[in-house]
Amino acid sequence: MAQLGSTTGEKTLERVAVVAAGVVSPLGFGLAETLDSLRRAKDCVTAVTRFSVAECRCKTAGQIPDDRLLGGPDKRLRAKRLHRASHMMIQALREAVMQVPQFEPELTIIGTTSGGMSYGEQYYRSLCRSGNLRHAPTWIANYPAQKPVIDAQEEVLSVSVPCQVIANACASGTNAIGHAFECVRSGRYQRVLTGGYDALSELVFTGFDSLQASTPEKCRPFDRHRAGMVLGEGAAILALENLELARKRGAPVLAEIVGYGISTDNFHITQPDPSGVGPRQAMERALKSAEISAGEVDYINAHGTATVFNDAAEGKAISQLFNGVPVSSTKSMMGHSLGAAGAIEAVISLLALRHQFLPPNINFDALDDRLDLNVVANESRPAVVRMALSNSFGFGGTNASILIRRVEA
Amino acid sequence: MSLAIAGMGWVTPLGNCVDPVWKRLLRGDEASATPISEQFGDRSYSAFRVPESALTSLAHPRLRRASVISRFAATAGLEALQAAGVKVDSQNAGRIALIFAISNGGVIYTRRFYRDVVETGAQSASPLLFPETVFNAPASHLAAILGVTGTTYTVVGDGAVGLLAIKMAEDVMADMSLDYCMVVGTEEVDWLLCDAYRRWRLLRSAPPIEPFGKQKRGMILSEGAGAIVLAREGPITIERAHPGGCYGKRGEAEEILKGILRDLSQVEIDFVISSANGTFIDQAEQGALEQVIPDAITYAAKPALGESVGASGLWQVILGAQALSYGELPPVLHADPAISLRLARSRVAVAGARQTIILSSGVNQQVAGLRLALR
Repeated sequence: MAQLGSTTGEKTLERVAVVAAGVVSPLGFGLAETLDSLRRAKDCVTAVTRFSVAECRCKTAGQIPDDRLLGGPDKRLRAKRLHRASHMMIQALREAVMQVPQFEPELTIIGTTSGGMSYGEQYYRSLCRSGNLRHAPTWIANYPAQKPVIDAQEEVLSVSVPCQVIANACASGTNAIGHAFECVRSGRYQRVLTGGYDALSELVFTGFDSLQASTPEKCRPFDRHRAGMVLGEGAAILALENLELARKRGAPVLAEIVGYGISTDNFHITQPDPSGVGPRQAMERALKSAEISAGEVDYINAHGTATVFNDAAEGKAISQLFNGVPVSSTKSMMGHSLGAAGAIEAVISLLALRHQFLPPNINFDALDDRLDLNVVANESRPAVVRMALSNSFGFGGTNASILIRRVEA
Repeated sequence: MSLAIAGMGWVTPLGNCVDPVWKRLLRGDEASATPISEQFGDRSYSAFRVPESALTSLAHPRLRRASVISRFAATAGLEALQAAGVKVDSQNAGRIALIFAISNGGVIYTRRFYRDVVETGAQSASPLLFPETVFNAPASHLAAILGVTGTTYTVVGDGAVGLLAIKMAEDVMADMSLDYCMVVGTEEVDWLLCDAYRRWRLLRSAPPIEPFGKQKRGMILSEGAGAIVLAREGPITIERAHPGGCYGKRGEAEEILKGILRDLSQVEIDFVISSANGTFIDQAEQGALEQVIPDAITYAAKPALGESVGASGLWQVILGAQALSYGELPPVLHADPAISLRLARSRVAVAGARQTIILSSGVNQQVAGLRLALR
């Protein structure tokens, strides 16, 4: 295990604490609702209501209800203009900052895939209809990927924090957390905010449908009858801090991030290498980064999109590296929230560590007989969880894994 | 930790390859504007586009269906690697990181994909176009062409994103197991982008870009790519990369820029490469420069090359490195003689110059800066 003051080569590695977290997803608003949904194995995928899916194969997604997301007390004009993604980020960041009001980040690193895409869609549709473009400046100004990050900082922190927005497709959230972890571990930064967000959009929904990657049925990761993914949306934030400094100032330490692995497999722009080499390298590198063995991992939150190709490659890589470690894909409950997925799943892993349970992989009937996995089928269950691995893989052959360790109170 | 520039690559509306483009800028050349029109009404715009001839030497199966944004990036990236004398093979593929800076991304294919959805329905959506709409498509193509197997990031932002990507490269290179990090900024122009910026009152319909002008008539979009290979040692170093900042209201940009300039001007600064593009950011940069380093010579390339957004920060770094290496600055085009800044109004010798500040201000709330030094 990399300890404070330990060295790799000539370099001292700092330990990295998670001192706060916030989340908004189809599972709920905040950590408590998320925990409750996970324990109850709640299926949060519903019929799509945001746009027409009449011509799509897939008709469902994990969605955040607008009445709760946008229906708050803030009636200012600015709040009305913000994109839904900004509202998700604001709520997630607000929850995190309430836990550590004195947290002053030096940097924010956030993952996303599509920013405020639905505003781009509205603008384009208005052009096509030669319609009313009075709102075009608002749509255009709120479209960029960094905007929800800056909005959340302005609303919640009231300070200007430099931000880096990583768009590594579906691995973005885990890449953001992993890079933030490296920034603190290297000693270059003491406090970094990190996480991810994405809001459902017609363009992205239709895109996955066109690839036949999404399913008209239930999302069944690793199942023999899996037929594809369903999309989701949400945001999650983690506040990372040098562990020694966090303890010195009496900040809560929710968990410790101990390892990060990234790989690029260059096989195909939308499909993983069927050998599983990309995911395997990411997981191996995370283990090496943490200086732990595969036997020390108690739970794997898989990427588990339920596409035929992803689950085959990831399943193969997991079974090559780990021996019977419990695995679940919580996308079965809430859909795949793309750039937010890695961040939300890091929060879910954190909850598993703090509350000593295994989150479920729902809609599961029978394991794909080409896979050798210990799937946490359909129900959550109590377990000793000291170390969790969270995987995210994306278009372009980008793969990322992080390791999170329980910290005793 | 300071990193050195080991190689550079450039694809611009004035052609490709670093030295030929540099010579044209020194001569005072300006890119030719091309009209762009679309089916929507009679709105037509002008943009500085990369000439077809700049991409003819590149043929790779991975780029067969890719949009021009990926071709620009690959062309610039390969030139930078060649200039650095780096050959990627199975032995070192994991020791090279790749970081992309992008703002609008693959907008041409995004518009085509969504047009089909809007006009003929979701069943017409193309599974070939969709993957190219994803922000990291250009990075994944270049990674595949080169065989890079380790760290690959795509950073998105506004015109400041190029410098933010270089800052990220500095953080990534804290991992001493990496030998090189290639940073690529790339962008493509489309009618839709021109229309969006025009409706936001940031774009003028035809050249020129008038830097630091009182009227703020707007920018002209351009396209292309810039690439730099960062190594541990070399004659030109990124001595300090500021982490940047975000402004809420436009009026706040100047204060953040002042902070960046104060941080970077702890040593004597010989000249500044500004990101002035004919919009409100010019006023912010001018105010900050006049307050913090009023005597520094200022150069702005966007009147000659256009606003390439995600690529622009890398272009500015290439310009700064070239000016330090050759001791000259090109002329700033279309600048009002009454502007109080010390502008390089004609080709100016800066022989003996050792340090320059690159200042990037985006129109979507981000600003950044870094200092280059000639050792």
